[in-house]
Amino acid sequence: MRKHENSPRFRWHIVVFLAPAVLVYTAVMIYPLFNTLRLSFFAEVDQQRVFVGLQNFHRLFGDAIWSNQFWNALGNNLWFFLIHMLVQNPIGIALAAILSHSRLRFAAFYRSAIFIPTILSFVIVGFAWKLILSPIWGIAPGMLDAVGLNSLYAPWLGKEEYALTTLSLVSVWQFVGIPMMLIYAALLSIPEEILEAAEVEGITGLSAFWKIKLPLILPSIGIISILTFVANFNAFDLIYAAQGALAGPDFSTDILGTFLYRTFFGFQLQLGDPHMGSAIASAMFLIILLGVCLYLFGIQSRMRRYQF
Amino acid sequence: MTALTLSNIHKSFGKVEVLSDVSLTVEEGEFVVFVGPSGCGKSTLLRVIAGLEDATSGTVEIGGEIVNSTPPAKRGIAMVFQSYALYPHLTVRDNMGLGLKQEKQPKSVIKERVDAAVQMLDLASYADRHPSDLSGGQRQRVAIGRAIVRQPKLFLFDEPLSNLDAALRMNTRIEIAALHRKLSASMIYVTHDQTEAMTLADKIVVLRDGRVEQVGSPMELYNNPANRFVAGFLGAPAMNFLAHGPLPVADGGTLGIRPEHLRLTPEGRLTGTVTHVERLGGDTNLLVRTEANEAITVRLFGQDSTEVGATIALDFDDHAAFRFDLQGQRLR
Ligand SMILES: Nc1ncnc2c1ncn2[C@@H]1O[C@H](COP(=O)(O)OP(=O)(O)O)[C@@H](O)[C@H]1O
Ligand SMILES: [Mg+2]
Repeated sequence: MRKHENSPRFRWHIVVFLAPAVLVYTAVMIYPLFNTLRLSFFAEVDQQRVFVGLQNFHRLFGDAIWSNQFWNALGNNLWFFLIHMLVQNPIGIALAAILSHSRLRFAAFYRSAIFIPTILSFVIVGFAWKLILSPIWGIAPGMLDAVGLNSLYAPWLGKEEYALTTLSLVSVWQFVGIPMMLIYAALLSIPEEILEAAEVEGITGLSAFWKIKLPLILPSIGIISILTFVANFNAFDLIYAAQGALAGPDFSTDILGTFLYRTFFGFQLQLGDPHMGSAIASAMFLIILLGVCLYLFGIQSRMRRYQF
Repeated sequence: MTALTLSNIHKSFGKVEVLSDVSLTVEEGEFVVFVGPSGCGKSTLLRVIAGLEDATSGTVEIGGEIVNSTPPAKRGIAMVFQSYALYPHLTVRDNMGLGLKQEKQPKSVIKERVDAAVQMLDLASYADRHPSDLSGGQRQRVAIGRAIVRQPKLFLFDEPLSNLDAALRMNTRIEIAALHRKLSASMIYVTHDQTEAMTLADKIVVLRDGRVEQVGSPMELYNNPANRFVAGFLGAPAMNFLAHGPLPVADGGTLGIRPEHLRLTPEGRLTGTVTHVERLGGDTNLLVRTEANEAITVRLFGQDSTEVGATIALDFDDHAAFRFDLQGQRLR
C-alpha cells in the first residue's frame, strides 16, 4: 500500500539537478550537432535555401571532384591515425613503464618535460617545427651535418611522400605525454603485493611487464586507443598551422578536418559552401561514431575490468 | 638440518630502526609463528627472509646457504600474502602455473603439480575461474596453492587469515595445520593473533618493537613467560597484573595471575566487586574491581550465577602467580 502511495510522486529534485548540465550540453553540443546534420540536407539555389535530401552526399561520394578529395583526406587521416597508434602509444607506454620504475631518479622532471608540449598551442608547435625542419633557416640540416648524416636530410615538410608522416610524427611528439600519463596512472594502481608475489616467483623486469603489468593495463590502452582515434579524426589545427588550408604539397597532408574547413569556409579561389561542408561534417561524425561503436561493443565489452 | 638461520639481523628504513638484532633458527619441518602487536616488524622480518627487503646488517641462511644476495625466486621459498596478491587476469590454474612457467618447467610437470594442488585444496570446480569470481576463502586457498606448486623448502605466510571472517578463519587455520602435517615442510607464519599462534605453532617467536622477546613452544611461553609483555600477550583473556596484590613484589613491580587461575572462594586473599559478567556458555568471565581499585578478569569454567554488583572473594595457588620487576622482567 505504501508503495502505491509513493510511486506516482514525481521526483522534481532530479529534474532540477540535471537541468543545468542538460541545458548547457544541449546549447553547446546537441543543438549544433543536429543543426549541422540538418544543414547537410539543404543546398543554396538562387540564394534560397532549399531541401535537397541526400543530394549533397550523392555529390560527395559520386562526383569525382568531391569524392577524390574525400577519399584522399580519409586515407591520409587513416595513415595519421596509424602512425599515432604505432608510434605514439607504444612510446607512451614504454615511457610510463620506465618512469614508474621506483629506482629512476629525476622521474618527476622527465614526466613534466615530456608532458609540457601537450599544453603548447598547435600554432606554436606547427610553426616551431616548420622552422626547425626548414631547409633554408632550419636547424635540422645543420645538426645532421654536424654528426655527418647530412645525406639523410630531406625537406620533409615539402615532399609529398614525407610531409604527412612528418606531421604525424610532430603530432606524436606533441601528444605522447597523454598516453604516458594515463598509463603511468594505471601502472601505479597495480598493487605492490601483486608485483612482489611475481618477484618471489622470479617474474621481474621485462617478464613482469609482459606477463603482469601489460595485461592489467589493457583496459587503459583501450581507452587511449579510442581517444586517439577521436582526436585524430577531428584533427585540423596542426596541419592548418604548418601547411595552411590547402594542406600541401598538393593535398598530400589533407585530412578530413582541413577538407571540411576549405569546403565550409572557402579558401582562396574556392567559395565556401556550408551545405557541402555540413555533409562532410556529418560524414566525419558518422565515421567517428562507427569507430567508437565498434570499440565499445566489439572490444570494450569483451575486456575484463580488474578489481584489485 | 636447519631450514633457516637468522643471525643478528638489523633493518632500518632511513633513520628508523625496525628490526634490531634478530637471531633465530627454524628447524626442518618446523612450524614457526612470529607473533606480536601491529607494527612490531613481523612483516618486515618475513620480507627480509623472502628477499623482498635487504637486511641492513646480519645474515640470512636458508638450507645452510647464505642467501643475502640471492634474489627471492632462487631462495627456495614461497610466500602467501595478506591480500592474497593473485594475478587478476589469470584463471586459478594459470595463477598457480605462472611461476613454474617462468622457471621453464615442462608443461607436463606444471600440469601435474597444479592438478595435485587443485585436488589437495579442493579447488577443482573453480580451477578455470578468475580470482574476482571467488570468495575470500577460495582466493586464500588459491594463494596457498600457488605456494605449494613451487615445492619450496620454506613457506612464508603473512597474516593469511586476517581478511577472513571468524568462522572461516577457524576452518582455514585447521586446514593450514593439516597442510603442514601433509607436506611436512618448514613454515613461517606471521600473525598478530595469539590464538592462531598458540594453536598452530611448534615454536612461537614473540616480537615487540623489532626485538625478539622470547622464543619457545606455546606451552613454554604460557607457563614460563620471560617477561610481562609475553605473559600479557599470550592467553585469552589476558593475564591480570596487580600492583597491590596479596603477595610481596619488588618496588614498582607487579604480580601476574591468569584469569583461569583465580577461583571463587568464601574467603580469599583478594576481594572486590563484580562490574561486568560475560556469559559464554562454556565459560563465564567476571570483570572485578578489587579493593585496591584494580581491574581484574576472572575466568570461571562452566556457568556461574554471580551477578553484577556482587561482592566476591578470590584466591589462587601461589605457584600459579608470576612476579615481575619494574622493567617487566620476570622474577623467579
Ligand atoms: N617501506 C617502509 N618504509 C618505511 N617504514 C616502513 C616500511 N615498511 C615498514 N615500515 C615500518 O616498519 C614498522 C614495522 O612494520 P611491519 O613489519 O609492517 O609491521 P607488522 O607487520 O608487524 O605490523 C612499522 O612501524 C612501519 O611503519
Ligand atoms: Mg604486517
